[in-house]
Amino acid sequence: MQSTVKRPKILKIVCILGFFSIVFSFLAVFSPSVKRMGDWYPALFGLIVAASFISYIGVWHMKRWGVQLFIVTFFVKEILAVSVSDFSIAGILFSVLCIFPMLLFYNRMDLNL
Amino acid sequence: MHGIKNKILKIVFNLIGESISFAVNSLVANKLRTILSLLGITIGIFAIIIVFTVLDSLELNLRKSVESLGDNVVFVQKEPWQFGPDYPWWKYEKRPSIDFPVLDKIIKNCNSASAAAFVIFSSVTVKHGSSSIENVTVVCGSQQYDKVKNFEIAEGRYFNDIESSSGRPVAIIGDVLASTLFPFENPVGQTIKVNGAKVVVVGVFKKEGESILGNSSDTQVLVPINYARTLVDIHDENLNPQIMVRAKPGLTNDDLISELTGLMRSIHKLKPRNEDDFALNQTSLISTQFDSLFGVIGIVGWVIGGFSILVGGFGIANIMFVSVKERTNIIGIQKSLGAKNYFILSQFLFEAVFLSLIGGVIGLLIVYLITLVAGDSIGMEIVLSKSNVILGFTISILIGVVSGFVPAYGASQLDPVEAIRSN
Repeated sequence: MQSTVKRPKILKIVCILGFFSIVFSFLAVFSPSVKRMGDWYPALFGLIVAASFISYIGVWHMKRWGVQLFIVTFFVKEILAVSVSDFSIAGILFSVLCIFPMLLFYNRMDLNL
Repeated sequence: MHGIKNKILKIVFNLIGESISFAVNSLVANKLRTILSLLGITIGIFAIIIVFTVLDSLELNLRKSVESLGDNVVFVQKEPWQFGPDYPWWKYEKRPSIDFPVLDKIIKNCNSASAAAFVIFSSVTVKHGSSSIENVTVVCGSQQYDKVKNFEIAEGRYFNDIESSSGRPVAIIGDVLASTLFPFENPVGQTIKVNGAKVVVVGVFKKEGESILGNSSDTQVLVPINYARTLVDIHDENLNPQIMVRAKPGLTNDDLISELTGLMRSIHKLKPRNEDDFALNQTSLISTQFDSLFGVIGIVGWVIGGFSILVGGFGIANIMFVSVKERTNIIGIQKSLGAKNYFILSQFLFEAVFLSLIGGVIGLLIVYLITLVAGDSIGMEIVLSKSNVILGFTISILIGVVSGFVPAYGASQLDPVEAIRSN
């Protein structure tokens, strides 16, 4: 029951870049600099990394829930970043550049899990 | 509305319960495989958390030691507190020693100072009855030493003005010395022999514990500087002579250093073009040096632990792929009986998270046991902090989700007919 919708090349690139960013974000979860931001900050950051990873899997399989989860995670991540004054323009730009092609092919994506 | 909410909650709890039960059964059925795959996570969590625990404990100990020195105290010394290969010791060797008469000039002329004390350190043998302790650090301080150094007296009192100015043979001893020399009696009022000279104990320091800087008062003897003249040569440069100056409340160390620099230059009669021939040290110098050291150790631990965890994650992902492959026909039967995709997904995801969590908990338990054993044996308090426990659980769950999601999602997407047919 794999999705039969063909994955566009641009989404393939976005997902591969996303998976690479997840590897670095995963390592950042337990980095000394993230740990210094508070007892619960690594847990919240880890939750965001896990959600981002799952959303990339969803997009890779051309599922709408992947895009939805990615957008929700993006906003939660930015709210958290603002709350700890760790705002990064490059991070926002990367996410926006990912969201744009995802939305472009959103209608072609599968509704089911 | 309330009924629907309850129904949804019931479904969710049933789903979680069934998923956990499936996961436990699967893990118990393949014990050896389970143990081998969680070993990677255990080692990874152990490596990261032990490094962070030791670093946190060292930092805590250092902070305590630095606080005991005083955070708004400036140390007037011959040499600056610098470390590293470029330390120009030959330049500092030529400088004049900080001598006792300088103290009076600082007390009289330094408006930013609330207190100042001249201090030297020596090594002596302390005796009481048949008990004898060698290489005890004797701190010889002037009257205002209690105002510039942070310490508490558990029993007895500090020297009074007369004892200090006339150089009476009195001493305050550390907790370890007190319990070693006087195991069954109160040390206050008793006599000890310091390098053969009789000294009356007037106080005992409150127990501080081991210090990373080696300046714990537990193993020290404090005597008035005027009495110390009879024990040692107080002008001896090898005794690390220094003047500790505390800033007035509301003034910063920078204010104090600024005034002391001018004052010391005039005392040493330095011309405007001459370089300073003294050093004004402060505890923040120690903290800064150690912060960078701890930073490097932390990064090394993070990299080593990070790779261990990544390897552990690959192990779990591998085992989950095998697990899905093995149970493909069971998945097919479950789906043909009406199991939804999310149920199959959650079943395998829970299994991965559960496996990873067990590995993480074992890793944390090993760290905890080490903190108990090491804390007693090295004499320094090593604490597994709440933040490190949270971090351990976070990493475990995260690695379980990341490594288990792909196999679990693959299982949930299987076609029931093809899945049942598979061998």
